[in-house]
Amino acid sequence: MNLGSRMVGANTLAQAAFRLREAGIFIALAVAVLFFWARADNFMTVSNWQNIATDVAIVAVLAVGQTMVVLTRNIDLSVGSIVGLTAYISSDTLAKHQGLPLGAVVLIAVAIGLGLGLVNGLLVTVGRIPAIIATIGTLAIYRGLLFEITNGKNVLAFQLPERFLDLAAKKPLGLPTLAWIALVVGVIGAAFLRWSPWGRDFYAVGSNPDAARFAGIPVGRRVMSAFMISGGLAGLAGFMFAARFASVDAVAGTNLEFDAVTAVVIGGVNVFGGSGTVLGAVLGAVLVATIQDGFTLLKLSEFWKIFFNGTAIVVAVTIDALVTQRLQEALRRRRRAEIVAAREQAGATAREREVPT
Amino acid sequence: MNASEPAARTPLVELRGISKTYGGVHAVEDVSFGIAPASTHALVGENGAGKSTLVKILTGVVSPDTGTVLVEGEPRSVGSPSAAHRLGIVAMYQDPTVFEDLTVAENVFAGRYPRRRGLVVDWKAMRREASRLLEEIGADFAPDAPVRGLSVADRQLIEIAKALSSSARLLIMDEPTAALSLQEVDNLFAVVRRLHDRGVSVIFISHRLEEVSEIADTVTILRDGRHVETRPAARLPHAEMIRLMVGRPLDALFPKEEAEIGEAVLRAEGLTRRGVFSDISFEVRRGEIVGLAGFVGSGRTEVARCIFGIDKLDAGRLWIEGRPFTPRSPRAALRRGLAYLPEDRLRQGLVQPMSIERNTSMAVLPEISPAGILRPRRERWLARSFMERLSIKATAPTQVVRSLSGGNQQKVVLSKWLAAQPRILILDEPTHGVDVGTKADVHRTISNLATQGLAILLISSELLEILGMADRVLVIREGRLVGELSREAATQEAIVQAAAGVRAAP
Amino acid sequence: MKRVAAALLLRWESVLVLLIIAVGLWCRSLSPLFLTKLNLLDLATPYIFVGLMALGLTFVVIAAEIDISVASILAVSVVVIGQIYETGTSIWFAATVGLLVATALGLFNGFLVAALALPSLAVTLGTLAAYRGLAFLIHSGEGVATFPTGFTNIGIGYVWGQQVPVALLVFVGTAIGLGFLLHATRFGRYIYAVGSSREAARYSGIPVTSVRMAVFGISGFMAGVAGFVYIGFFGSSRADAADGSLLDVVTAVVLGGVDIFGGSGSIVGVVLAVFLIAELRNGMQLDNIGGDTQNIVIGCLLLGAILAGNGIRALQASGLRQRLARARKKEVVRTKGQAEGIS
Repeated sequence: MNLGSRMVGANTLAQAAFRLREAGIFIALAVAVLFFWARADNFMTVSNWQNIATDVAIVAVLAVGQTMVVLTRNIDLSVGSIVGLTAYISSDTLAKHQGLPLGAVVLIAVAIGLGLGLVNGLLVTVGRIPAIIATIGTLAIYRGLLFEITNGKNVLAFQLPERFLDLAAKKPLGLPTLAWIALVVGVIGAAFLRWSPWGRDFYAVGSNPDAARFAGIPVGRRVMSAFMISGGLAGLAGFMFAARFASVDAVAGTNLEFDAVTAVVIGGVNVFGGSGTVLGAVLGAVLVATIQDGFTLLKLSEFWKIFFNGTAIVVAVTIDALVTQRLQEALRRRRRAEIVAAREQAGATAREREVPT
Repeated sequence: MNASEPAARTPLVELRGISKTYGGVHAVEDVSFGIAPASTHALVGENGAGKSTLVKILTGVVSPDTGTVLVEGEPRSVGSPSAAHRLGIVAMYQDPTVFEDLTVAENVFAGRYPRRRGLVVDWKAMRREASRLLEEIGADFAPDAPVRGLSVADRQLIEIAKALSSSARLLIMDEPTAALSLQEVDNLFAVVRRLHDRGVSVIFISHRLEEVSEIADTVTILRDGRHVETRPAARLPHAEMIRLMVGRPLDALFPKEEAEIGEAVLRAEGLTRRGVFSDISFEVRRGEIVGLAGFVGSGRTEVARCIFGIDKLDAGRLWIEGRPFTPRSPRAALRRGLAYLPEDRLRQGLVQPMSIERNTSMAVLPEISPAGILRPRRERWLARSFMERLSIKATAPTQVVRSLSGGNQQKVVLSKWLAAQPRILILDEPTHGVDVGTKADVHRTISNLATQGLAILLISSELLEILGMADRVLVIREGRLVGELSREAATQEAIVQAAAGVRAAP
Repeated sequence: MKRVAAALLLRWESVLVLLIIAVGLWCRSLSPLFLTKLNLLDLATPYIFVGLMALGLTFVVIAAEIDISVASILAVSVVVIGQIYETGTSIWFAATVGLLVATALGLFNGFLVAALALPSLAVTLGTLAAYRGLAFLIHSGEGVATFPTGFTNIGIGYVWGQQVPVALLVFVGTAIGLGFLLHATRFGRYIYAVGSSREAARYSGIPVTSVRMAVFGISGFMAGVAGFVYIGFFGSSRADAADGSLLDVVTAVVLGGVDIFGGSGSIVGVVLAVFLIAELRNGMQLDNIGGDTQNIVIGCLLLGAILAGNGIRALQASGLRQRLARARKKEVVRTKGQAEGIS
């Protein structure tokens, strides 16, 4: 049987379609940058880009976590509340124990996030509550807990140690520290999804949960871990949020989940699960933050931001569904053509078979 | 057993005294035979002969009521799919489930990725190994190809590669060639031979007897859940295979009533759906029962779905009672007096959580709900009258259909369509998975309907049913109409020969 | 008699009634004024708009979909009413336009889900934000100062000697109407069928796509009606209307016994759930529990209700399996006898 070179056509078509998504974001990003550069003052300044970088950082970290969850065919809407909780606890802890090493505070924030993510995971896997409802519920519960803890107070900037606030202020090599943190998280997240068997299982679980179970993948445990990662990263994002905004009150982090989901959806992570990359999600976060920054500079109301987020989600989901459909048909047609060609090449025509009687 | 086997080698897998009953119906009864190592063993039989039940038992999906499964001479309990996996027994179905979003290599190694230093996915090794496997089985696609665009034949090869990579010893192929072209079938057979070189045995389930003769070393024939014969393929000509498959005394399930046959009510010409069926032309007359025979996957259900408006026709024309008919939707078909009882009772025929009366009225709500307002009393009356007419055993019309037996469920589906007072009724496997008593009831009803002037198209894989009921038998094979037999000319052998594409023995 | 009583007791609605009574007793312990007629009648008034949205959402959930954009639809509708009224037209004209806009927004959701076959979760997640943003883009400032009393009475007026809130009547009346639509019409039956088994519904000649689109239209329409009550009660037509009410709306539906996976549920349950939530929030307020902390309780109710529903269904399924096994054994005996009878 002769091998190999025939399938190239369909192969490259599919790969092209996948790359298209990331290329698309780049193009959109380029268009947005050019647009704002032309229309807005101070868009192309270093300080503005450092601003963008800091905003991106928080959303990017959330987007990495959300990617894990969406890959498994779920969603986590509670991340905004988790950010609020961990942001407050981070700054409150630091305000009360000024000498505590920052690393310890990070650990506390992440640990809390992991715990809250675990609750989400249990509700979805053991409780069999659809993820969207479960996380709408925990969104409210966690936010309520934050209100209980803050009791109307909020931590003020002057109460926090310099080195903490420096995380947002200092810019080693021109990039804010927070952005470096996000970069590291992105790299680790991408590596995890690409190189660890655990991460690869997320793709299988989201693509076909039944087949995954049949292949021996512990679906429940994987989904649970995805929610825990999302929660843990939200905890980290909360720490970063506190460093950035210093004054943390009970409404901190409200609606951040939207930014995360928008970034992820724009970034090509399929809401049906099974495909998408951290790179795409991070690019999506960059695009979202850039556009929002541009809107701000153009003195457009912040409500354009919400409108944009929502529209972007609807458009992205629609395009994804339509493109997948078209792609599937195109690939199938190509393949069938190849098979017909192969048949003709081999000279096989409908032949009579010997029938022993 | 196999007295004709040369040396008595320990069979790779052996079944002894296997029986399994489902809800009062014997799926398999006291089946015993063995599969030799590095051989292809064909399993042949009609629908309902018990083949899929045996596959389920071998793959650990169900447990047999009695009997043992032996692997290399040792009795083993195949209690779960993972147990079967561990024993090296793997099944491959007609259209394998795959991870559409992943590549070929990822599909082959799903959940078992090769690792570097035990921690990290070794993509290079995975690609290399997948390449090697694909090459070994003669696949012409690369390991990096996205599975989404691959054909059914390709997916089967992926399954085989998967099985090989997990050191399977027995690969069960259930109707693998149904969706393959001739070239692809040749490919597949070449792969099977290569599997032998690896010491892997294959159970090959197919109704294409010419393929069975070509690839199988041994053939086992099942009939009505019982083992009939196991013989080397070389010593089993087709005619005898068929005789053994269907040879059963023709005790009439229910003598058919004579019905007056009138003019054509449904006429089809050149029905085509690309890749599924082509150029199907037939007609059904008033009072006539036309049987539509053919093996599973031959396209009969697909034809019915197109006529009823669920799927789209690519070409062809239809007339109902002389006037042209364009199948646009089930509602449109119903309005013209055409009803279709679907093959999948539980998913397509019934809304399971609903009661008998609500299911019964579902297709006629526009007619019995004037101004859109439901009339529960009418629904109940409707349900009760059908419960009586069809002898549906239930506590009350309010009983939920999910809790009914298969036979009674089927009667409810039938009620639903009869309530619509159709003039043409297409029945798709109406007595599938139904107990003997209900079968008789359903046959009685069908016969009765014909005497009342309905035109009935009966799609069935049960030969006795078709022979008992049909005035004419149309045989479909691979999407084409290959034969039409009158009631007198129709015998079990004749039908199966036409369905299998075997020329009659002189 | 005992079996009837047991059957009645085991219904989800009965449990809700018991809970309403239990919570009522708790509230009584917090304030002796609780059990007065005036208070009880007025209890639910601030939540009627939530209840109206929940009634609309019920249709969507029974059809096995979800619509989390309802609060945003209300916001758009309310802003539209305010803006149009400000240009000098009659309030009723503005209200009609608002209602039409709300329905259109709902139908747009329905189009994406039913015609384009997109997942309702993702679609309404997007429109939740898009519609909210749209509301702000239409008008981001303070709402119209005063609406005519004739209109605001819908939300805040009283009849029959200043005792019965109009909003309550609106709610009960709408519930009766929607209940009729859902439980007594062909359309309602179609919704249950589509929610239980879309394929079987299709084979039965039910226009599945139209039904799915229609339920989203109803959801949007009810958000519009809820907008009337909202304007009346809160006197506001700002774009942040109903922000944060989604939790209560979804909880009301689920707590009302509507299966989140589709195919079952009743209006009565949702009505009871709305009253329960109103009562609970009222009680917590009496107990000086802040709004956001109250959300913790409601959130737990939401999750608890689904867990309970899942648990009950699991029990029923295993009980069913046992009954089926027994029934099948009986079949064997009977059919054996029949088979012998035939040949």
